[in-house]
Amino acid sequence: MHETSIVNSIFRTLEQEFEVEKLNNMKAIHLKVGILSNIEPRLLYNAYEAFHMTNPIYQKVKLEIEMTELKIKCEICEHITNVKNYRFICDNCKKPSKNVIQGEEMLIHKVEFDD
Amino acid sequence: MVDKSTKAARGTVQCENTNINLLKANDFVADIIKKEMAKTGTLLINVTSSAGSGKTTLMQKTAEKLKDKIKIAVMVGDLETERDADRIRETGIQALQIVTGGICHLEAQMIHQVLDQFDLENIDLLFIENVGNLVCPSSFDLGEDYRVTLMATTEGDDKPKKYPKMFLTSDMMLVSKADLLPYVPFSVEAVTKDAQEVNHELEVIQISSLSDEGVDEWCDWLLEKIKQKKG
Ligand SMILES: Nc1nc2c(ncn2[C@@H]2O[C@H](COP(=O)(O)OP(=O)(O)OP(=O)(O)O)[C@@H](O)[C@H]2O)c(=O)[nH]1
Ligand SMILES: [Mg+2]
Ligand SMILES: [Zn+2]
Repeated sequence: MHETSIVNSIFRTLEQEFEVEKLNNMKAIHLKVGILSNIEPRLLYNAYEAFHMTNPIYQKVKLEIEMTELKIKCEICEHITNVKNYRFICDNCKKPSKNVIQGEEMLIHKVEFDD
Repeated sequence: MVDKSTKAARGTVQCENTNINLLKANDFVADIIKKEMAKTGTLLINVTSSAGSGKTTLMQKTAEKLKDKIKIAVMVGDLETERDADRIRETGIQALQIVTGGICHLEAQMIHQVLDQFDLENIDLLFIENVGNLVCPSSFDLGEDYRVTLMATTEGDDKPKKYPKMFLTSDMMLVSKADLLPYVPFSVEAVTKDAQEVNHELEVIQISSLSDEGVDEWCDWLLEKIKQKKG
């Protein structure tokens, strides 16, 4: 499943971003993922556990996942709408919009290191 | 979920606000693919759908219709077998199977790895047939110019709201197996309404590889996009 790829990608991305010594002191990874991202936290936590079996060096690193709701900002009237039932339509002026400002993210939001 | 770590800060913990896309490694490779395609003016189309919606059959049909006008090649992602690529080769165009070995989607890296097996200078249109599933492939940019999603009349018309990300990121929805419309409970109107509630820019063509309905319209769309890409 794609959760495994995502966990791999998280560590590949961090390895590009930080020095090895720093990564050795990594304590926690915080993800911010939107409900549109198709990430199911429970499955991702499972995949994360499984990853450690083959990659014990990151065993002690905690994973935190924050889910975000779906929001669009209207290009015409700038009104922000909480999208319900995947109707991408401005609450205020009723015009359709694809301008997603929240809910699509798949971010490594924050990384914690021990000093 | 509450951010526990900031509340329970103990000892000296150093925090870095990164905000990096967790698929950054994929998107980096997708950009490289885009640049390669720009060099040769090859149009890259990522074709997605649930399993069995008619992707390979449509590739065959499109190859038959267009192979005298333009040069087409296909990459086919599949969990285990070589069958789809064989089917496409029978129409006389180059097809390459990417066996994902159980991974349910294609990633940019997998495309990039096989790209040098194609003579891109001599290819106007390169299709990627993604692995059949509407979830995972939606998150992985393959450097495509357009994403085309098939929605077969046999799979029920509630897919757009079940898999919104795929429809939000697609440019074209092909309502496939349209020849079966008289026999199945499926409303093209309802599916179009739902899909365009998710993505109002989504184009829709009703198509059948069996009866040829919509195939000319689809081919014209492709030819137009190829023309635009060549500039
Ligand atoms: N009636 C009808 N059947 C079709 C049409 N297109 C494809 N099929 C049938 O649908 C089945 C699946 O078609 P494929 O083209 O293999 O579908 P696919 O999306 O490539 O399947 P996967 O690669 O396994 O996801 C085959 O039995 C086809 O003959 C169509 O337009 N009308
Ligand atoms: Mg196929
Ligand atoms: Zn508005």
